[in-house]
Amino acid sequence: MKSKTDHANPFAGDSTGIQKRETAARWALRAGSYLVVLTTAAIMLHIFVKGAPVVFRSEWPFVNTQFLTELPSQLHVIEDKQGRRYETGVNGADAIKKELGENYRSEKTIAYSGGGILGPIVGTALLVIVSVSVALFLGVACAIYLSEYAKHGKFLELIRLAILNLAGVPSVVFGLFGLGAFVLTAPVFVDVPADRSVLAIPLGFTTLSFEGWDTCVLSGGFTLAFVILPVIITASEQCLQAVPQGFRETSMALGATRWQTIRYSVLPFATPGILTSSILGIARAAGETAPIMFTAALAFKDKLPWQKDLPPLPADASVFAQWEQSLQRFLGIFTESVQALPYHIYTLAAKIPQNEYSERAQYGSVFVFLVLVAALATVSIWMRIHLRKKYRW
Amino acid sequence: MDSSDLPRRPELRNLIIRNRKRTILGFDPQQIIKYFFGANASTAVIVLVLIMIFLVREGVDFLPTNRHELQTYRQAGLEFCDLVDRPLREHQTLSSSLRQCVSAALEPIVKDARERRNAAFLLKTQAEEKAARQREALENALEREPPPAEDQLAALRKDLQTAAAAASQALIYPSLFTAEETALFKAQLAALSPELTDLPPFIQALSAEFMTQDRAAREKYADLVTAQEEFDEAPDDLHELVDELKEQALGAKQSVEESHALAVNRQQLLEAAETTADPDEKASLIKEAEASVGEEVDLTALTKELTARTGELQTQIAAYVESAEKAAASLPDDVGTPDAAALLQKAKKGLPAHVQDMREAATALESWRVDKPVSMLRVIGAFFFGTEWITNSSWQDFFGFVPLLTGSVVIALIAVFIATPISVIAAIYTNQFATDREKELIKPVIEFIQAIPSVVLGFIGISLVGDLIKEFSEVSWLQWIPGFPIQERLNMFNAGCLLAFMAVPTMFSLSEDALNNVPRGYIDASDALGATKLQTVFRVIVPAGISGILSAVLLGLGRVIGETMVVLLVAGNRIAIPDFSAGPGVVFQPAHTLTGIIAQELGEVSRGSSHWQALFMVGIVLFTISLLVNWCARAVARRFESQKA
Repeated sequence: MKSKTDHANPFAGDSTGIQKRETAARWALRAGSYLVVLTTAAIMLHIFVKGAPVVFRSEWPFVNTQFLTELPSQLHVIEDKQGRRYETGVNGADAIKKELGENYRSEKTIAYSGGGILGPIVGTALLVIVSVSVALFLGVACAIYLSEYAKHGKFLELIRLAILNLAGVPSVVFGLFGLGAFVLTAPVFVDVPADRSVLAIPLGFTTLSFEGWDTCVLSGGFTLAFVILPVIITASEQCLQAVPQGFRETSMALGATRWQTIRYSVLPFATPGILTSSILGIARAAGETAPIMFTAALAFKDKLPWQKDLPPLPADASVFAQWEQSLQRFLGIFTESVQALPYHIYTLAAKIPQNEYSERAQYGSVFVFLVLVAALATVSIWMRIHLRKKYRW
Repeated sequence: MDSSDLPRRPELRNLIIRNRKRTILGFDPQQIIKYFFGANASTAVIVLVLIMIFLVREGVDFLPTNRHELQTYRQAGLEFCDLVDRPLREHQTLSSSLRQCVSAALEPIVKDARERRNAAFLLKTQAEEKAARQREALENALEREPPPAEDQLAALRKDLQTAAAAASQALIYPSLFTAEETALFKAQLAALSPELTDLPPFIQALSAEFMTQDRAAREKYADLVTAQEEFDEAPDDLHELVDELKEQALGAKQSVEESHALAVNRQQLLEAAETTADPDEKASLIKEAEASVGEEVDLTALTKELTARTGELQTQIAAYVESAEKAAASLPDDVGTPDAAALLQKAKKGLPAHVQDMREAATALESWRVDKPVSMLRVIGAFFFGTEWITNSSWQDFFGFVPLLTGSVVIALIAVFIATPISVIAAIYTNQFATDREKELIKPVIEFIQAIPSVVLGFIGISLVGDLIKEFSEVSWLQWIPGFPIQERLNMFNAGCLLAFMAVPTMFSLSEDALNNVPRGYIDASDALGATKLQTVFRVIVPAGISGILSAVLLGLGRVIGETMVVLLVAGNRIAIPDFSAGPGVVFQPAHTLTGIIAQELGEVSRGSSHWQALFMVGIVLFTISLLVNWCARAVARRFESQKA
């Protein structure tokens, strides 16, 4: 590039430093890429180092069962005059104080930091079940339309534009939407409509009143469903598109209707892929906090969703009455607010004063949460690679 | 397969499909299936429309509600008081910078004495802490009724003495003290007991030393000190007057609000009476409505009382302005240290503007009219250009969203500024240079980042990144960076870093797609011309994919602006416009954001209040921003696409 009088071997290179520059640039680019990888690794490592000691134990059964099987509660730390500290829940505090007697010096209470995180785990699981069921149903149906039925035109463009924009809507706006739509307006069957009801349609034996579901698993689940809907639609459509056109043509050529073609020649091959990508949807739904803040989540609850106080049945209750109560108990799971892991972490991190005890609860929850999410993501990524190898047409 | 089966099958199919074409209510089932899927596909459109409808339904009433509030604000005379009170607030800032200037000027003279005194106090507290348990025991024993036996007390005393002696030995004495002083102090610390109420003589001596030094320093800078004191006291009378007026106005506001609430109640009761069928209930409702009448508030009389004192206010303002100017004039030029000089300059610069503001306030008082209506335009302006977001205030709530918007925008810019180069570099490297094995590492890892919940990243920001940045900012050879050392652990830079981390997956995968889509022919042509790999990448591939990269950056920006949990946890949540006079160091200040304010405050407000509506208004703005960003990203992608074609 530089001189014209150079008679040296033109293949020797490096005389102008081009190769050096190439190598340097390559290393700079490589460093930039690995910066991201290393940062991720560092964050994971930090959480692992701080969180694993909370969850695991050095002796049998190696797992802190209390942390995984109890509900969150207040932590009492009692100090005696020798400087020893006793940690206990709400119930144990008085006994310890009595036992210490004269020796009692001081007591500290730390909100939410005692017990375990079973409540939040169960709540998150419920929210995920509701949201993924709704989102899979809507999303796969939408993807089938887009991939199998839709023809180019205004309607298709409108739908694609809507999906793109829906994917960009901030999660907190979904929260506002869920609050306005599901918590305050969605239709329910009631005997007497509430004052805030937007519209009440009398049906004779009951009234369909648009007064909302209140903050509950259903409201939160539906809100989350719309948050992950774009993800599910896009992923499902890709899977459907990946099924070779020839399968459809063969089926149609045999005289099958379009629905039969989809049912027997397209969906069976696309389903594994759709389920795989929906796992990512699960991870996303489990991780969102803002949409459930006003629609489903509670900072504190001392019962699991199915531990609801119902009036005891008389001894001679009919089978139907028992069934009805079981049904009520089951529905009650979905019509009550729950604790959720991400919201629990938010509460621990932002709403209570920080000290060593709250830090332990924080890192423990974050560790468990991250392990769950990472497991889901890894399964999804691994299965996708596996499937890609299996269905290679 | 049996050959005899084959010919029969078509007949069966014919029977089912062709000959008996089934219909459901006159519709072709295939058509119905198609419409079913079509209907599901339109969910996306419907949800988008519903989001708009619900946001608007809850938020749109903000304008009339807030207009009514602003009307009350004016009619009750709160605005009148604020005319003076607002510019007067500047006095506090100026006064505090003068106070800082004084202490900075005194600093070199009194520094040693103060540090010695403080160190001694610190040591005393530490010693006391170490022997706290024994001390407590002795104290309890002394207070007990009847007093315990003398030998018990003696034992306790002895315990305490041993503990105190051990503590005084274990302490680390700074080099501020000479060896003799240390020994003296040690002995005094060891002798601490609950009966001694006086400070140890050593500390008393140090305090006295400090006082002398301080007095000497104050004499040296007597000009500055007196000017500062004069300025500090200058607005006292004015403050008193304004406070009195404010109380009056607040009373007026409360009575207005009460009578308004009663009126609303009455209206509701009458409406309920209208709809009810039961005559008895109707009568009782109407009766209740009749009772719900507040006394008519005579606002004109109330505000007349206020405006009647305009003259008095103006005289006070004039007096204040005069003394402030006098103080300004008597400020000396030379104050010793450069720190003090800088503060003095700041005060000197701010004073004339402040005086000018006060004079303008005095004239504005005259032109203020209580009966001027508040226009809708003003309400809209107060929301979109208001610089104050004050809620739950005993004086007046303001919903101006500029501070929130600035916070959001600055954080988003920081994030994009950090994330763009990293993700583009990673995309270029993965797409063009990486071996297959590297690709198998980098891609899943970056994909995994997307799965990390944002609240976890927010928590990382609080527990890890905040401390890292703070420690980093205290390293001595990095002090040239503006804004170092930082004050707040939780600030915009911290939030920006984490958001950048979050935005990397979006930007990376979209940029990589864009690079992938560059036609093979471009690369081949470049190679054929003898270009090196680097030249091909930076002169052919990247320019060809620039549209995709740009739209990736824009989509990343959209994601960053809409992110909630990280900013809520990490940005510091101070509702104020960042002080841009700090230069680039502004990024180390805390701020609040559009998304954060909704998440933080919505749970605590009652439905239908102006605060609730204001938060939904913020939601509308956010929604609009996200649509705009999306539209821009598409437009950019399309525009460059057409240029290339």
